[in-house]
Amino acid sequence: MQPVRPLLKAIGAFPRSAVFTICAFVLLGLLAPYIAPHDPNAQDLLVAGQGPTLAHPFGVDHLGRDTLSRLIVAARTSLVGVCLVLVCAHAIGIAIGTIAGYRRGWTDELLMRIVDVGQAIPSLIVSLAVIGIAGVSYWNMILALALAWWPGSARISRAVAVNTMNKPHMEALRVLGASPVRIYFVHLLPTTIGAVLVYATADAGAVALAIATLSFLGLGIQPPTPEWGQMLVDALPYLESDPRQVILPGLTLTLAVIGFNILGEAVALTEFRSR
Amino acid sequence: MSAVLEVEHLVTSFPSAKRGQTIKAVNDVSIHLNPGEIVGLVGESGCGKSTLGRSIVGLEKPQSGRVVFDGVDLGSLSGRRLREARRAVQYVFQDPYASLNDRQTVGEAINEALIIAGLRSQTEREGRIAELLNQVGLATTARDRFTRELSGGQRQRIAIARSLAVEPRVLICDEPVSALDLSIRAQVMNLFLDLREKLGVSCLFIAHDLALVRQAATRVYVMYLGKVVESGSSEEVYRNPSHPYTQLLLASIPEADPATERRRNPPLIKGEIPSPTNPPSGCFFRTRCPLSVKDCSTAEPVSADVSPGHKAACRFAGDLFAKRVSAA
Repeated sequence: MQPVRPLLKAIGAFPRSAVFTICAFVLLGLLAPYIAPHDPNAQDLLVAGQGPTLAHPFGVDHLGRDTLSRLIVAARTSLVGVCLVLVCAHAIGIAIGTIAGYRRGWTDELLMRIVDVGQAIPSLIVSLAVIGIAGVSYWNMILALALAWWPGSARISRAVAVNTMNKPHMEALRVLGASPVRIYFVHLLPTTIGAVLVYATADAGAVALAIATLSFLGLGIQPPTPEWGQMLVDALPYLESDPRQVILPGLTLTLAVIGFNILGEAVALTEFRSR
Repeated sequence: MSAVLEVEHLVTSFPSAKRGQTIKAVNDVSIHLNPGEIVGLVGESGCGKSTLGRSIVGLEKPQSGRVVFDGVDLGSLSGRRLREARRAVQYVFQDPYASLNDRQTVGEAINEALIIAGLRSQTEREGRIAELLNQVGLATTARDRFTRELSGGQRQRIAIARSLAVEPRVLICDEPVSALDLSIRAQVMNLFLDLREKLGVSCLFIAHDLALVRQAATRVYVMYLGKVVESGSSEEVYRNPSHPYTQLLLASIPEADPATERRRNPPLIKGEIPSPTNPPSGCFFRTRCPLSVKDCSTAEPVSADVSPGHKAACRFAGDLFAKRVSAA
């Protein structure tokens, strides 16, 4: 259980507010179908656009769907999306980074120049380009964001891998005649994954925002799946007549992103201190 | 008696911070180790003694020269065969806190070395772990403790047990006791003597503590700026040092008695060790040598016998030796 211990230790040291927000977010996401009071997609045109009532505490949207239910279910959409993107991005990034850090030499140079190019292009532009080529769909969005995010992960992974390889206990293994397979898979990879997992939380907020942005632009999650960015677009025509419809998803998204960002900043700080 | 390990004209250099320049950390060094022998390698920090040790076990890649183990040139092997041949030469690191993985228990650390050595059966490995712990003077109950819970001396014993797991014939010990408390040093030193006795392991003992090397080693090499300046049996070298550098180095050993130490006025080695990027012409030591003459800057001194088996690389080595012998 090498990667888990440092992660738990790190979470214990984080600001309570951020941990609380993230926990609430994760719980909502996991339990969404059981918590949501109404079917998020059930339309009731008779009450369309109605403000808060007892039956619908946050009101309903322009198609008469329960806003609270949609917000809660959107947490799940976002959570799953963020996790998928981070897992894909870090899978690519850690693979590239550890190979560069293990091999060094020209392999390292080549891979890191590719990473430089990847990092030089803004992530949103990469995502838009990938979706433009591959077409609009849920999995294409995940792929697009993963392709935009992996260079950052690769850079961190390489730094961790280089650092790990230079530790005397790794040198001792080399002197003992451990096979490259053992050194890479039994020692280097688990150590790197453990360290990079902590950094991953720092990115979650930005990814959540990117998913909402793509959905807002109509390139991410498609209706009728509830999603915060999607809800914002739906509500945009009513911005002046009924701002509640815009403010609620906007606030929820903001809260989640701020939670992740505070967490990320705390991660960066503890990592910095432990150096 | 044929040598178990021979290093011939080894050169290891690193790229310098300045572009295009290289630092020759080990500059044309030839040494050998006989079976069951403890050999000392001494010199100031930065003289390349650790780099030499690391090059022998393959942690640094030498530019040129050969490392011959048991008659086989390690440079001619690669991949799996190289790893297996290298296993016979193990390395004991200076810092026992860094050389063991904090997240492993003692048993796991040694077990892994046994797996690497190709011991397949779990029960056999269990037996070997107990045997190895015993050999380095630890209780078998230490097996389940995490390495981070142990003291420096205990950790160094475990690092040694792990090296012994692959049944090496040579141990390269890089300042193995300098990170340890004074009271523990003697115990760990005795362990090395004990292992030589019981297992016939040869040791290359890298140290800056001259008194320690005198006690343990039968032969000694003195290094300065990447080169061996004097070599011979430790008795000879310590009694009749014939290179000005060795003489100054030995004079710097403090006396145990504070009264005589206070009266003593040891000649100091003047100046700093020159940059290996840009070593002095001719004799590398001439910038700090009390005897240097004009010719020292043109001709590089050759290592010559001053007495059988005792070599020194200085134009005055013969005179210095004769002076020491007549003074005694």
